[in-house]
Amino acid sequence: MTKTGMTDARVLQLLQAYGAWPMAWPEHEREAAEAHLAAYPERFADALADARLLDSAFEAEPMPEPDPSLAARILADAPQPRTSRDSLGTRLSRILMPNGRRWPAGAALASLGMGLFAGYTASASSVPVSYETEAEAVVYAALGYDQYDTYLEEAPLDE
Amino acid sequence: MSDAAAIARFDDFLPRNSHGRRYAQNVSDSSERDQIARAAAGDRMAQSALVNRHMPVVWRVAFRMLRDRQEAEDVTQETFLRAWKMLPEWEGRAKFSTWACTVAINLCRDRMKKKTPVLMETLPEREAGDLPPEQALHQKQAGARIATMIDALPERQKEALTLSALEGLGNKEAAAAMQVSVEALESLLSRARRTLRQALAEGQEE
Repeated sequence: MTKTGMTDARVLQLLQAYGAWPMAWPEHEREAAEAHLAAYPERFADALADARLLDSAFEAEPMPEPDPSLAARILADAPQPRTSRDSLGTRLSRILMPNGRRWPAGAALASLGMGLFAGYTASASSVPVSYETEAEAVVYAALGYDQYDTYLEEAPLDE
Repeated sequence: MSDAAAIARFDDFLPRNSHGRRYAQNVSDSSERDQIARAAAGDRMAQSALVNRHMPVVWRVAFRMLRDRQEAEDVTQETFLRAWKMLPEWEGRAKFSTWACTVAINLCRDRMKKKTPVLMETLPEREAGDLPPEQALHQKQAGARIATMIDALPERQKEALTLSALEGLGNKEAAAAMQVSVEALESLLSRARRTLRQALAEGQEE
């Protein structure tokens, strides 16, 4: 047994089952088997010769080919593009939702988020309802009051 | 692109072993899933690619089992007809090649049960290329001899040999297509090869 865990018996099994061509061996054993074979070639000389003989015989086996028109006949039965059979509703939904149903859901979520954000920032930055705005001060000054409080104190109450 | 152009032979570009046999192309799962999804949606290029990659293998497996070109075509068409119906719900299924070979093998088994033994159809001739006439004749005879020997194998051994040695499927894929374990596949292959080695040796002695 080599360091890889490969044994003489397993290499013989591989040669007898899959032949001499390493590409035909199971992928996970290929490297270890090749290394084992290279390390002890004399042990496998007969098995390797037998396997090669059979592989050569397979190569002589005529490789039949299908009729060239078969592919076209198979493709004639293949599913047609969906557009030709789609209903009006399906076509309309494709225009409205070009990326499928996930797109409007994502867009709605994004719109909701943007709305909430805009609402929050607008309310936070809006001018509080008070008399201390510049415009109001100008108006009260024009009326002859220093500020709204003075106006309230001095203005006659409607009775 | 026309269908004729789309179905140009990609098979020629697939990897081959030292003897020129095709070896199964490693298409990634995600790439195959994408191709299947597009084929299901009616994409002609994706459909053509699936047919070009898998149809010759399916047909050869069927032909080697049934030894009848027309029947092999029927099995291949039936296999793809089922595939077209399955594609929309393909998610999570086996590799396409494994699934297609499994369906084809089962269809062949059904047909073989109904069939009475018939004489083997003459194999299609392969072009001899640049070989000298004598060598070409020798190769043709050797090819016919090994084809007859393979044809005489028990059904399951012939299936294993066809998928693994002749069509180049990996051991797991061939085992899955035959619905047997990898160990069972190896056993079938070993027995098939032993029988063929003996037959070849006897042929050389004669």
